[in-house]
Amino acid sequence: MTMIRMSNIHKYFGSLHVLKGVSLEVNKGEIVSVIGPSGSGKSTLLRCMNQLEKIDGGILEIEGLVVEAAGNVGVKVSASQQQVRDTYRKMGMVFQSFNLFPHMTALENVIEAPITVNKMAKTDAVKIAERQLAKVGLLDKKDTYPSKLSGGQKQRVAIARALAMDPDIMLFDEPTSALDPELVGEVLGVIKKLAEEHMTMLIVTHEMGFAREISDRIIFMDNGEILEDASPKEFFEKPRHPRIKTFLEKML
Amino acid sequence: MDHLDYVLKILPFILSGLKLTAKIYVATLIFALPLGLLAAIGKVTGPKIIKSILFLYTWIWRGTPLLFQLFFMYYALPVIGIRFSPFVAATVAYVLNYGAYLTEIFRGGIESIEKGQYEAAKALGMTYPQTMRRIIIPQTVRRVLPPICSEAVNLVKDTALLAVVGMPDLLRIATQIFTRDFNIIPFIVAFVLYLIISSVLVKLFGKLEKMHSIYE
Repeated sequence: MTMIRMSNIHKYFGSLHVLKGVSLEVNKGEIVSVIGPSGSGKSTLLRCMNQLEKIDGGILEIEGLVVEAAGNVGVKVSASQQQVRDTYRKMGMVFQSFNLFPHMTALENVIEAPITVNKMAKTDAVKIAERQLAKVGLLDKKDTYPSKLSGGQKQRVAIARALAMDPDIMLFDEPTSALDPELVGEVLGVIKKLAEEHMTMLIVTHEMGFAREISDRIIFMDNGEILEDASPKEFFEKPRHPRIKTFLEKML
Repeated sequence: MDHLDYVLKILPFILSGLKLTAKIYVATLIFALPLGLLAAIGKVTGPKIIKSILFLYTWIWRGTPLLFQLFFMYYALPVIGIRFSPFVAATVAYVLNYGAYLTEIFRGGIESIEKGQYEAAKALGMTYPQTMRRIIIPQTVRRVLPPICSEAVNLVKDTALLAVVGMPDLLRIATQIFTRDFNIIPFIVAFVLYLIISSVLVKLFGKLEKMHSIYE
């Protein structure tokens, strides 16, 4: 089943053409890593998927629903506003800068959306939140405010917060880029756990070893275009594009 | 002992003045705080017409003296047939003036919240009103607490302007007793009372700020 289908997506920031007709499909249970130099449009690609950025052209389908269509593409958004909202609700996002709510404890961060958005009873939300915090190994920190957590702990709470909404798809936007090197492992460990549960994931990352280990596919972006979409083995062992070769030489 | 007797004799009058000062003070805070918060939300998120009106409001009320605004309420409006009781006129003048300053404080607070907070809320499926109510405003209130507390202490001192428009507040009563008795003691009593009130408030607000900074 196709979870995400992007067709010929264009995105501009002013006169800057950031995504130049990107097409991409992600199937259920697939783990796709997006890599490439900075400024290549990786994060923008991810942010277009959950409406943090509006697309300027192309079609975006999520779980079979056209949720966004822009430009002269001959397709209209087929879903109702409510359907579109429900679809986005099933998409979790983890940010480079964590974006935890600083005025709430770890537990309050995690129960916020189930209560406010899904109108869940507080006792049920707490049960779910405690399960998710246990999963990321931070149940003992549930009453701690984000300011008292390390970067790695913050990011794990952020992952628990996204998981509490029971997402079908998880988007990771450079989840370890803001972390001290010794804290990267704990966050990657949690993502690996999700991989074992066959969560559908899109991960923008600079962690080459990690991407190679857990991904089903690697997408390489450069200058607003997808240059390569291949299995990790193919991608790392025989990169076809000279740009990828130079990039990998610099990274590894 | 004569002095003490004198103080005890004038104290009931002075305290009646203090009572009026306190009433205006509390009424101003009760109305100006919500006014400031709502106007700030309007200024940040409202449609263009609301933004323009609010711009005019804060521009005019912050750009003219509070004493002028009091005079205007007291003397100018009745000339064109708009009359309030002295208490209402004074309260409205203070609320509008402090509301304008608080609007700008709250606006600055709202705008200082990182973009990532809005994005995280949106990614979790929260609507814009939910995001404001649950995420942005609570953080704003904690962040602007120090400037708001300092405004609240300023207000204690600004209430003394009531004396100028003839309302029997703490300062005016003290002045009246002074003119009657030609004795400096009523001024000293008023001085001590002002100082005690503002010091207690500073202390209280300091505690409040500490309580709300646990997460920083």
